[in-house]
Amino acid sequence: MRVLAYGDVLDLALELVAAGREISDNVVLLVAGDQEEKIQGLKGPNEVLLCKDVKSDDQESLVELITSIAQDFDAILLPNDRRGRELVGVIAHKIGGSSTTDVSSLRLENGVLVIERITLGGKAIAVEELSLPAVMTIQKGRFKPLEDIEPEVREIQAPKIERRIEVLEKKEKPRVGVPLDKAEIVVAVGRGFKKKEDLKLAYELAEILGGVVGATRPLAADLKWMEEEVWIGISGVRVAPKVLVVVGASGQQQFSAGIMDSKIVVAVNNDSSAPIFEHADYGVVMDLYQFLPALIKKLKEAKGA
Amino acid sequence: MMVTLMDIAVLIKQSLDVQELRVDQDTGKIYIEEAPTKAGDIDLNAAEEAVRIKEKVGGKATAIMLSTWGASGKRLKEAKEALKRVLAMGLDDAVLIMGEEGQKADTYVVAKTLAEVIRDNYQLVLAAEGSDDNFSGLLPARIAAELDWPFIAYATALELEGEYVKVTRSLEDYEETVRVKLPAVIAVTQEINKPRVPKLMDIVKAGKKPLDQRDFTPPSEPKIAIRELKVPKVERKNVIIEGDVEEAAEKLLQALKEEGAL
Ligand SMILES: Cc1cc2nc3c(=O)[nH]c(=O)nc-3n(C[C@H](O)[C@H](O)[C@H](O)COP(=O)(O)OP(=O)(O)OC[C@H]3O[C@@H](n4cnc5c(N)ncnc54)[C@H](O)[C@@H]3O)c2cc1C
Repeated sequence: MRVLAYGDVLDLALELVAAGREISDNVVLLVAGDQEEKIQGLKGPNEVLLCKDVKSDDQESLVELITSIAQDFDAILLPNDRRGRELVGVIAHKIGGSSTTDVSSLRLENGVLVIERITLGGKAIAVEELSLPAVMTIQKGRFKPLEDIEPEVREIQAPKIERRIEVLEKKEKPRVGVPLDKAEIVVAVGRGFKKKEDLKLAYELAEILGGVVGATRPLAADLKWMEEEVWIGISGVRVAPKVLVVVGASGQQQFSAGIMDSKIVVAVNNDSSAPIFEHADYGVVMDLYQFLPALIKKLKEAKGA
Repeated sequence: MMVTLMDIAVLIKQSLDVQELRVDQDTGKIYIEEAPTKAGDIDLNAAEEAVRIKEKVGGKATAIMLSTWGASGKRLKEAKEALKRVLAMGLDDAVLIMGEEGQKADTYVVAKTLAEVIRDNYQLVLAAEGSDDNFSGLLPARIAAELDWPFIAYATALELEGEYVKVTRSLEDYEETVRVKLPAVIAVTQEINKPRVPKLMDIVKAGKKPLDQRDFTPPSEPKIAIRELKVPKVERKNVIIEGDVEEAAEKLLQALKEEGAL
């Protein structure tokens, strides 16, 4: 079994290497040219393939590069971010492989590659048998980077490609670097907030609790009241805090799939039939505009005392 | 600017309504039979985008669905309902490829089948970034690879420019505007538009639009076998805190303290 790992973000790529080690003791990491300086002292993979003429933001070249070396591998692991997810299906099909996404565990059973992934909007875990070669994206935060092996670095060349996708413009997205997936306390806000300014209630609550603020997809991606990196759910970040306070979010399955690993979930929603209450340990059926100020006041008093 | 007539294929999945799906944590039973199916939410965004393109440059848009939920009874009716919904939004006709219940088909097999329906007949394929029930986003990518057409995912804006399409795609770090020559396959996000709500007249008319139902013959063996579906164990207390605002705040803090969470 030989495994190839590639990720546009090197930290994530090292998680992929660790995932690969579950099924193979020969995991090769592909590194794009613009990440070259980061491979100094890097540990984990058995070998690093450095391709200087491809950059990590060049999806079209990456498809061709990975496809061109795929015959040496039984499994190709990519990150479950949007770049990884854009690549996985195309690469799998080009090499005649199986494909799956958002893999949370993988193992070999009598030579059969078996993976698990969340499906049905978080209501089920699918156990899938993949034929080889297999191409898959790996859920973030599931595998701890390994620090054992110091890899050899080998340079490889990119195949010549005929470009079909012309990039006209690139705008960097604003990023704040909120460590949502690692936070101990998270306040998650939804469309129950009427105005962007009202979110200060949530920020104040998060501050007193020593936590961070996350959001539902519509609030971040549609209304753009917050950075996109903070949206929680099946298409966003998965959180696993000690306490999650969900305020003004309906708890639709695609959101709730991202909060399953939270230890204690508190829900504040003025609609007693909102599905979020099924996913909560403690529910408060109230207008957030009345409840949050009262809660914040009580917390402040408790702190002062 | 040159105006091209477009023929657009819109992929519609008969998706399980995961919101309505019941699971039993104790027995591990997943009540799939009992849950309804519907057109995927983001499929509606793809359909809306197709209708908008048609309104601008003319042409035709076809809804294409491959279902392996069973070619009879409730599931067939639901499949037709899902298609009727997008026809009512303004798509012109529909192709429904119906397989037997439980027929083995993964994205590899489905892509191979749909690519043959699409090849030579359409210049643009629109699909959702992911389905409601499985959210892998693999199918449009595989169709693109099978047809050897360029694939762009996570589109938040789309504009036709003659025989080119300009797409804004939203990746983690960047928002990129790219241009590709048609034919192409594009997967859209939920944010690209607001799907229109059809009027009663449109719904009546949709019932008369052509629906071409075909049988599904898998072109090859699948590459994935689903061995099992398990119900994840998530224990929640589901306590509703009663009282007025002050009391509720007090009780919640108390509860969190007892949990050792504060
Ligand atoms: C394939 C797919 C993937 C998706 N991925 C994600 C994802 O990753 N993350 C995600 O979040 N969504 C995702 N969605 C969207 C998801 O289905 C829901 O539409 C979304 O989560 C709803 O966001 P919301 O709760 O903020 O808004 P709404 O559903 O509109 O809920 C607002 C809630 O606020 C409550 N409320 C209103 N006023 C008040 C008040 N004054 N006080 C207290 N409560 C109040 C209401 O009762 C309501 O329950 C996805 C959808 C699809 C189809």
